[in-house]
Amino acid sequence: MTTITDIDLLQGLRKQSPKAQQQMLERYGNDVFAQVARLVPGVENAEEVYQDVFIKVFRNITMYDAEKSSLRTWISHIAYNESVSFLRHKKVPVIYYEDREGEAEKLSESEVEATFGQPNPETVQLIRAALKHLPPDERAIITMFYYEEMSLKDIAYVTESIPTTVASKLSRTRKKLYKIIKMLQS
Amino acid sequence: MNEDKLNTLRQQDANLRDAIRLDEMDRPQMPVDLNARLMKRVATQEKKPRRIVWPWIAAACVAGVMMIWLTPPKAETPTDVVAENKPAVEQPAINNKVEEPEMAKVESEAPVPMPTPVKVRKAQVQTAVAKRDAALLAQETKAEQPAAKPAVDEVHKDLSIVETAKPQEKMVTLTERDIPITRPENYKYTPEELALMKKQANEAYLKWAQLELEIAKHNLEQTAQSDY
Repeated sequence: MTTITDIDLLQGLRKQSPKAQQQMLERYGNDVFAQVARLVPGVENAEEVYQDVFIKVFRNITMYDAEKSSLRTWISHIAYNESVSFLRHKKVPVIYYEDREGEAEKLSESEVEATFGQPNPETVQLIRAALKHLPPDERAIITMFYYEEMSLKDIAYVTESIPTTVASKLSRTRKKLYKIIKMLQS
Repeated sequence: MNEDKLNTLRQQDANLRDAIRLDEMDRPQMPVDLNARLMKRVATQEKKPRRIVWPWIAAACVAGVMMIWLTPPKAETPTDVVAENKPAVEQPAINNKVEEPEMAKVESEAPVPMPTPVKVRKAQVQTAVAKRDAALLAQETKAEQPAAKPAVDEVHKDLSIVETAKPQEKMVTLTERDIPITRPENYKYTPEELALMKKQANEAYLKWAQLELEIAKHNLEQTAQSDY
């Protein structure tokens, strides 16, 4: 089985070649679905958004600029926008914790580092529970950074933001997670 | 917090990374046939002849612009040509109306006091005088005492002919099915036109009066000569 490069794939996609499209789905489909499912609740909704994402990708492939981002990041950007747009238009109810009074910001960094850094299965379960209380965009950012190991620049490109904003958002989200864990413990 | 610090934290936050990894693993997997369904959808969308609408919209816009561009201005439309030409044709008529103030009076409905018959009389009188002068020259010696009276009668006769003829002309003008007559703007004269008409009427009246005086003077002379 021969693997084709992104350049070949792009050439095929620009010609609207079904083979190239199939290849692209095989290469990026799982990641995109995971990204969409992270933001959009419900498998059916995620499927709908997933299809919309790739139809948009196939149609607008000529607009892709390799100098601005990798193909993977470009697709992530479209997937993120489609998911956020879906949530906005379908008005899907999402319940999450909102730190209105900014209490999380007051927490000390050492406390947070100790909780997240010292391996502990119980803490892992608590963090998993806490993750469910995060708003979709924050969950997406923290997953992109910790799980997909994307750079701040790429996350900023995906979320149409700037790296410094992403950095501050990540820091805030960490503290917020810690705050939720504390609340769950109490 | 800068990127390096965050990268360090990413390495340190083992619990957080594990939690997210486990969370991702628990996420619903992508349905196996999803890509096949998507490809089907893409194929059906490609089969559909995609209507390209923008050239039609562009063509419609261009056509609209051309229509606007090529349509003659309002004044050049056939009906308006009449409307526009009419004043041009009637422009002398306006001047004539000054000479024939009755029409002006009727059309403008502005009271033009005395001058009404003046100009007409002037013209007619001039011809009458001319005729009469010829007659006078021919019959200078035979001239009777009331010679002036027939001349004046002749003038009045001519005037009556003119005056009877004029309304007919006027009627012809008024009964024309021209739009300018029916259009309100054609009933109106500008203040400048009205002032000009008045001025011309006054001048004509003065000339008429002078002419009358001359005629009277001439008659007096004639009677004086005949007396002697």
